[in-house]
Amino acid sequence: MPAEISDEALDFLLARSGLALTPAQKAELKSVYPGIAAMAERVRKPRGPMAELAHVYNFTGDDVA
Amino acid sequence: MSDAAIPTIAEAAKLIAAKRLSPVELTRACLDRIHALDDRLHAFVHLTEERALGDARAAEAAIMARGPKGALHGIPIGLKDIVDTKGIPTTCQSKILQDNIPDSDATCAEKLAEAGTVLIGKTTTHEFADGGPSFDLPKPPARNPWNTDHFTAGSSSGTGAAVAAGLILGGIGTDTGGSIRGPAALCGIAGIKPTYGLVSRVGVAPAAFSLDHIGPMAWTAEDCALMLQALAGHDPRDPASATRPVPDYTALLGAGVKGLKIGIIHHFHETDSKVSDGTQRGIDAAIATFRDLGAEIREVQLSPLQDWGACGSLISITERAAAYEEWAKTRLRDFSERVQSRLMLGALVSGVDYVQAVRRRRELRAELKAAMTGLDVVLTAAAPNEAPKIDAVPIWDLFERPSFTMPFNVSGYPAISVCAGFGEGGLPVAIQLVARPFEEPTLFRVADAFEKATSFRNTRPALAG
Repeated sequence: MPAEISDEALDFLLARSGLALTPAQKAELKSVYPGIAAMAERVRKPRGPMAELAHVYNFTGDDVA
Repeated sequence: MSDAAIPTIAEAAKLIAAKRLSPVELTRACLDRIHALDDRLHAFVHLTEERALGDARAAEAAIMARGPKGALHGIPIGLKDIVDTKGIPTTCQSKILQDNIPDSDATCAEKLAEAGTVLIGKTTTHEFADGGPSFDLPKPPARNPWNTDHFTAGSSSGTGAAVAAGLILGGIGTDTGGSIRGPAALCGIAGIKPTYGLVSRVGVAPAAFSLDHIGPMAWTAEDCALMLQALAGHDPRDPASATRPVPDYTALLGAGVKGLKIGIIHHFHETDSKVSDGTQRGIDAAIATFRDLGAEIREVQLSPLQDWGACGSLISITERAAAYEEWAKTRLRDFSERVQSRLMLGALVSGVDYVQAVRRRRELRAELKAAMTGLDVVLTAAAPNEAPKIDAVPIWDLFERPSFTMPFNVSGYPAISVCAGFGEGGLPVAIQLVARPFEEPTLFRVADAFEKATSFRNTRPALAG
């Protein structure tokens, strides 16, 4: 994830999200993008494809009753 | 009712059982205090005065006839205004839900009513439990009773302020990244985020499904234990609800901490995100108190606080954006500016980012489990400093410094904030204690021992001048 975002890329993400922002909100969002990029970087570790998610499920008695 | 006369829940329960305190008089005293003080505190968005007096009269009649059914019978409480209440407005402090009157109670509201509590009203919250203190909402934000120029923290801001000021004896908060423990810390009360799944989320507006917790806030840890006793238990309507039997949460109160092993996560509050001098003094004094009481003190090393914050924030941002997507697309301008800012962050987090955060969550949870082997509880800060001024709370605080409370939403471990003294500005500082899943009895044991070994529970906010 790059540490900066272009206006075009931001417009694409906003169009995909369906959010209609004012120019001031777009500028604000662009200004905090590096913070999100840093968080996204922090959660990535060299863990390989086998590492599981925290959110998995198993069937309970209710599911098979 | 003077400040000195505000009882804890435990004290009031004993007096009520002995028929030396009338639930109706106690309720009237709370309402009198609200009428005198709440125009400065803004702790309530909706008072249920008629319901309260009805609840109190019913409790009094039942107690006179048969004795109390438990420690909460006749006790005045408040519910955060994201908790559904049948026939009573539940607005989530949002323009969007100004006319919302639920047709059923949230499970936690139902359980507290079954325990015989007296509902005083709905307490102030950040809009949909998010964003911070907003001045562009239908009701103003709550103020800190220790100094009304200052912030309560949030999002369970009204419950924190109301308990500290003695407007209610206890109340419900919700906690997605610290929204019980933050206001407890800044308002100088006790507040526990229980183990994930211990208290049903049914009927409570979501903030982030996999991080959301419901829990009690009260003047003491003992009072939180009494409230949790009524709140805990399996609810088949909540897919995350735990099925374990509910223990006696007061069983270990008074057992002291001699021989218990307490791990200190020094690096969280000393290097990862250095706390204020006043908070550090409170933490150091608390560690010395535990050592004097016979606990063994160890050091604990975890991943940096920033890792926990990144993991929790990405999950929180995404789950919230999903929950409120429909309104965000169609009614964005009806949210406060702060919540608009939070919702638009969802556009920046990809599906892969979210999944990587959830994979990181599994690793962090395993790390905490291993670190707590052989320990009874761990300790760190609950908040970085005393309450800031209410007009000086940054919108983007999640990028400015990582939260001390989020690690235990990420892990789901139970965590309590208790008052650890007062800082330079005369406002409360706090410590946070954390136990293994479903070990709330141990958490209450340690927190109660600390409160009873210190004098911080003897002073209420002066609310003078």
